Amino acid sequence: MDLAVQTFGITKTFDDFTAVDHLDLEISHEVFGLLGPNGAGKTTLQRMLVTVLTPTEGTATVAGADILREANKVRERIGVVTQASTLDLELTALENMNLYGKYYGVPRKKRQEKIRELLEVVGLADRAKIPVAGYSGGMKRRLEIIRALVHEPEVLFLDEPTTGLDPQARAAVLDYVKKIHEEHGITLVITTHYLDEAENLCDRLAIIDRGKIVALGSPTELKRKVSGGDIVEADFLTLPDDAWKALERTDFVLEIKKRDGGLTIVVKNGAEAVPKIVELVDSKGGKLRTITLRELTLDDVFFTFTGRSLRE
Amino acid sequence: MRMGALAICERDVRKFIKQPAVMLASIIGPLLTLILLGSAYGGAITHAPVAVVRESYGPFSSKFIDILRNEQSCAYGGINCQNSFQLHDVAVIDRAQDMLREGLVKGIIHIPLGFDRSLGDKLNVIVTVSLDNTDPLSAASIGSEVVQAAQQLSSQIQISTANGSIITADLEDYYRNVLYNEFMAPGTFVQSIMFVSIIAGGVQIVVDKERGIIEGYLVTPLKKYEIIIGVLLSGVIKALFTSIATFVLAIIIVGIRPSVDILGITLTMFTLFLTSLGLIAMMTAYAVRTTSADVYRVSSFPINLTLYYTSGAVYPLEGFPTWMKDIAIVNPETYSVDALRLLMYKGAGFQAVTGDFAFLAGFTVLMVGLATFAFRRSL
Repeated sequence: MDLAVQTFGITKTFDDFTAVDHLDLEISHEVFGLLGPNGAGKTTLQRMLVTVLTPTEGTATVAGADILREANKVRERIGVVTQASTLDLELTALENMNLYGKYYGVPRKKRQEKIRELLEVVGLADRAKIPVAGYSGGMKRRLEIIRALVHEPEVLFLDEPTTGLDPQARAAVLDYVKKIHEEHGITLVITTHYLDEAENLCDRLAIIDRGKIVALGSPTELKRKVSGGDIVEADFLTLPDDAWKALERTDFVLEIKKRDGGLTIVVKNGAEAVPKIVELVDSKGGKLRTITLRELTLDDVFFTFTGRSLRE
Repeated sequence: MRMGALAICERDVRKFIKQPAVMLASIIGPLLTLILLGSAYGGAITHAPVAVVRESYGPFSSKFIDILRNEQSCAYGGINCQNSFQLHDVAVIDRAQDMLREGLVKGIIHIPLGFDRSLGDKLNVIVTVSLDNTDPLSAASIGSEVVQAAQQLSSQIQISTANGSIITADLEDYYRNVLYNEFMAPGTFVQSIMFVSIIAGGVQIVVDKERGIIEGYLVTPLKKYEIIIGVLLSGVIKALFTSIATFVLAIIIVGIRPSVDILGITLTMFTLFLTSLGLIAMMTAYAVRTTSADVYRVSSFPINLTLYYTSGAVYPLEGFPTWMKDIAIVNPETYSVDALRLLMYKGAGFQAVTGDFAFLAGFTVLMVGLATFAFRRSL
């Protein structure tokens, strides 16, 4: 099966800072997420894949064309939604879309049909003739996404598609993105630092940190890679050193990590572990503020592989 | 793929139409300069106070003062032909000199003792005129009028004494009376083009770059030359539209009267077109490599001022010091202003403006090349 994206040791350095570091990646026709904190190199990687940045080293193929030798073929076969909004607010949705169709050389009749269809898909058909300035944040994002689809690309790149939206608008945008993938069979490459987005939307994920892939797989696979069961988050008013050292020595604790104001503890069985932790801390003279039990998330996966939280 | 270039042009023009403020600023600014500067500089000096110290009494001195009182000043325009000065009798020369120093009068006309007697004896006399030349414009105006009055008196004396042939000089202006604000008008149109080049051309590009619109172009299959053509084409449409609007408003509001013939109007429009393309390309070449909109805005201000004031738009090039003439020679606006003046007021044909057109065309080619060279197809 041919791949939607394949990179070969792709590297980008700015002065003496390496943003993307000899990265090898294969994306098939799926919804693929590039997950990582700000500055991890996600956007730089994507900018190289969409041919606006030239790699310092290595190359990649996108939609079957080489990004260096066949840049224009790549451009014809992809759609891009950049992080910052590039809509012309003075113009209407129709005008915005029409112009993009022309940039791609889509013939008039086909363009008009496609635009009408796409506006229907994201529920903007009845507001297509008002200036975009009057749109809500979520509507603008939806419009930008379908604007990148007028020329029927094979791969759609979305850079942080829901940043700056309220939860409701985010949910709507994600629903439409899913729908577009399901109905049109377009490969989606999404960069994000939202865990729920990555978890709910993506078939596979690459966790990127400091320009390198630190983990790769489906959200479930990734979570399985982290040793075990549940997570206990404990915050303390006071925590004597020997209290958490004692915790480390117990058999029910798999892993323990210190963070601001408390501990993140990976345990075999959460329901059994919580009372034991409370008891142990108390016996060592520590004072708990809160203790909560939760399921493993991608943040824990990220934490495990990088030693840092995505939220930092 | 021409569709792409036209689409970029279409986008810019649509935005331009929906942002009338940009267009209005590019019309009102230059037009206001024309109205204010044109009215402030163009008017003839009137009623400047001048002291007359009369030490001689007789028919000749009385006649001389009469002539001075009636001297008409129509130096610049034909509209307000009035005395450029108002005479104030002062008894003694010392007092008059004090008044000059204190700024109460702009000049002193000293009719010396023995003026009438000397003229009666057919001897030469000298009338001393002291001028406050810290105000060169008033001084020049007053001085020339006193000289005219003296000439008039001496010719009258000659006629009455020689009892012979009458000499009359019949002066004729080769062109109709061109007012100062008409002289200024061509520079105004060029300036409105420059305004559009700065605001709707360059600023738009830098802002688009900041907003990521240019990045949006780069991810599409648009070729570099299509992007440049689109940007330049929209710029020319915007600049041409604005400068023609300024032209029409200058006719209606300021009352400039360009000569009306098909060839002249066609060539005038062509001059505006060539100027638009050249200046748009220049500011585009500058803008595509500028990363901060603020830096661009602040730096385009002195560029505009320098080009405008060294173009001969407000003062003839002949009056420039050498270093300014040197700038004028390489300044494209100089050639636009020159061509427009030739076409608008002198009814000159194509022959007269070929030199200007050649320079403007060369400049335009250079700037389009520079803009294409400077524009990068990647981030």
